[in-house]
Amino acid sequence: MTEGPKIATRPVRHRLPHDWRSQALIGVVLVLGAAVMLLPFWWMFATSLSRKADISMPRTPSLWPPDPQLFNYQLATDNLPILQLYGNSLLVVGATTLGYLFLCSLAGYAFAKGRFPGKTVLFLVFLATLFIPFETRMIPLYLFMGQLHLTNTYFALILPFLAGGFGTFLMRQTIAAIPDELIEAARIDGASEFRIFLQIILPLCRPSLATLAIINVIWRWNDVLWPLLVTSDRRLYTVTQALALDGHSQGTYTGVALATAVLAIFPVIVAYLFLQRYVIRSVVSSGVKG
Amino acid sequence: MRMKPESAHPPSDSGFLFRVRHAFRGTLVWYGFVLPPLFLILVFIGYPTAITFQQSVVSETPGGGAEFVGLYHFERLLQSNVFWGAVGNTVLLGVCFLAIIIPLATIFASMLNRLRRGSTPLKVIYFLPQLTSSVAVAIIFNYVFQPDWGLLNGALRAIGIQDLPLWLADPRYSLTGSRAAVTILAVWAGLGYYIIITLAGLQSIPTDLYDAAAIDGASPLQAWVYITLPSLRPTFVFLIMTGATDSLSRFSDLWTLGGPGGAPARSLQSIVMFMFQQGFESQDFSLSAATAVVFFIIVLAITIIAFWGFLRREFRAVR
Repeated sequence: MTEGPKIATRPVRHRLPHDWRSQALIGVVLVLGAAVMLLPFWWMFATSLSRKADISMPRTPSLWPPDPQLFNYQLATDNLPILQLYGNSLLVVGATTLGYLFLCSLAGYAFAKGRFPGKTVLFLVFLATLFIPFETRMIPLYLFMGQLHLTNTYFALILPFLAGGFGTFLMRQTIAAIPDELIEAARIDGASEFRIFLQIILPLCRPSLATLAIINVIWRWNDVLWPLLVTSDRRLYTVTQALALDGHSQGTYTGVALATAVLAIFPVIVAYLFLQRYVIRSVVSSGVKG
Repeated sequence: MRMKPESAHPPSDSGFLFRVRHAFRGTLVWYGFVLPPLFLILVFIGYPTAITFQQSVVSETPGGGAEFVGLYHFERLLQSNVFWGAVGNTVLLGVCFLAIIIPLATIFASMLNRLRRGSTPLKVIYFLPQLTSSVAVAIIFNYVFQPDWGLLNGALRAIGIQDLPLWLADPRYSLTGSRAAVTILAVWAGLGYYIIITLAGLQSIPTDLYDAAAIDGASPLQAWVYITLPSLRPTFVFLIMTGATDSLSRFSDLWTLGGPGGAPARSLQSIVMFMFQQGFESQDFSLSAATAVVFFIIVLAITIIAFWGFLRREFRAVR
């Protein structure tokens, strides 16, 4: 038996002298790839600092402008109510995420631990929504919002996204893994089901809630199809919507257009750099991308 | 055991009536938990979906009513060249995207997996475009692909290429046309997600498989071809399945670049953009609903085929 491990390690040791070479090769290729990923962001940022870019863009792209200044950013913030756009996005994303987490975990708790007639059928109804892409119902939903007189209101951006099958399914799976004894003990102490939910279930679900929150924030922040349909009032535009509608260069003032785009994109990147560990973990654990 | 006096079982009232009431109260709570989200789902998902199906088979009459017309709108749809153009674009873009991104992500994930140090910051960088919205990515690439001063053509000119491509302004089927440009854009934006999912797949492969291969004298390349790639099968199925449905519902970036018509020359119009244009701009709700039904059936078919193929394999592996 002592022969086994020796044989297994020998080929590895044999490869060791060559290994730094393959590590270096892999490293170089990966760093080049990362540069390709970062280059467009950096070029955009560098060019947005150039006042000359408003008159004529340099024919040869440069990684640092000859005349760095914040002039374009002044113009961009004067033209676009950037704070209002962020306010709208934060309101819509915040409200949908809070509501979605609350309602999904509430239903998830009932489906995981509750006993009531029709549980399986109702759960299947929730699951069935996973098979209906949003695009299938978007036009009737938009007409329906018009009938409710909700177009061009925040409600139109929030209400359709408060409940969903994906979140309910994820929370049901998480809550089902919580031992019944914990819940039983609280019941014996006289806690109501809602109090058990708030004080025992939710704190134990923190990792799943964080995953769901991150995914939902990415979904809602990036969504542009639905805002394009239900809000035409500029005061209600989200960041992403305003970027899609006004982020293009019209041929002149390209520097200002770039500065506008940077203002809409970079705060998200900064937030991501702080939260990257959780964001990547959420995406891996759920398999869902933003 | 500690028990509060107001606990659920007062000994004085343990008759049949109490038990019925107690059981009912016990269930009522759960309905209270399930019904609010169920109500929202029925109103905002169930009802509009039903309307989609209903609208696809009726026509509005002058009086404001609706008249059943059977498959008339579907016939109209299938005779529309614009619709088939959109279907062709969506499928072509989706197939090219997956054919490029999955091999690329597998190679990059394998390299990241072998790298001894520094893989975390690289992962963060590769994932970065995934976080920025597809609208933002489209805006960035709108500048990158600009023919006169864009980053790409500027770089090509700097290395001495004179005949510069038009990229997004060129509607032809070509490797430097608009369709190629948006495929490059999508690969750039999606690579991080595909790498990270593939990496998770790689890390779940048992290491003793590689030890056994090393004992048998397999080269690292052989181990990769005969162990890694077959073991990644479930990952590939998952990525193809989700990638196919994502590609079918592609909208935001193409709309940002080409408007609802998918300019230039409808070369970037996808199925969802066609639906958006018919429903929202032309107000032809029945045609848009018929498109939505066709779209729904295609997505459902892909999901079912993938689930079926995937689950069948998994069950066989368990047995």
